[in-house]
Amino acid sequence: MGESNEEAIKEEIKKNKIIIYGKGTKEAPRCGFTVETIEFFNRFGYPFEVVDVLENIEKRNALSKMTNWPTLPKVFINGTFYGDTDVLEPMAKKGELEPLLKEAFKEEK
Amino acid sequence: MITEDSLAAYIKKAIPDANVYIADKTGVMDHFLIQVVSDVFKGKNMLDCHRLVYGALKEPMQDGRVHAVEIKTQTRSGE
Repeated sequence: MGESNEEAIKEEIKKNKIIIYGKGTKEAPRCGFTVETIEFFNRFGYPFEVVDVLENIEKRNALSKMTNWPTLPKVFINGTFYGDTDVLEPMAKKGELEPLLKEAFKEEK
Repeated sequence: MITEDSLAAYIKKAIPDANVYIADKTGVMDHFLIQVVSDVFKGKNMLDCHRLVYGALKEPMQDGRVHAVEIKTQTRSGE
């Protein structure tokens, strides 16, 4: 069971250039931090996916194990884990995030 | 519920040279902004710096006394 969760996550982070594992959906987020993360990515104008794992304890555990990171939301960009907005906000301020996103979406332009 | 002093003690136990600044974001002591200044962060990327702080807070996070934290880490020279 744990293995299949990990496989599903790997598949999801491969399919979505920006993916947020959070609490609630994009339309109905159920946690202030998930809202904050959605608002954060709305600023950049690139498409992103939000996966609700609030009720899925096993998937949450699999995610925590894969990332060595205890909290939600968890953000992956181009298959790489970047933590949450506590990490992304300073990266954006330093100008490190924009090139990363540009690189992630370059094939689609 | 957890006090700011007790939170700071958890962090200092794991990161002894840390200066810890804590703000209660919600007024009900379950959502904190925690700023940690220590040279243990030198040369580490931000994910690993935050992992160190989460590691220090493992106990109060697991037993639910801390619901959510916002973390800021810095070295003494301000990196």
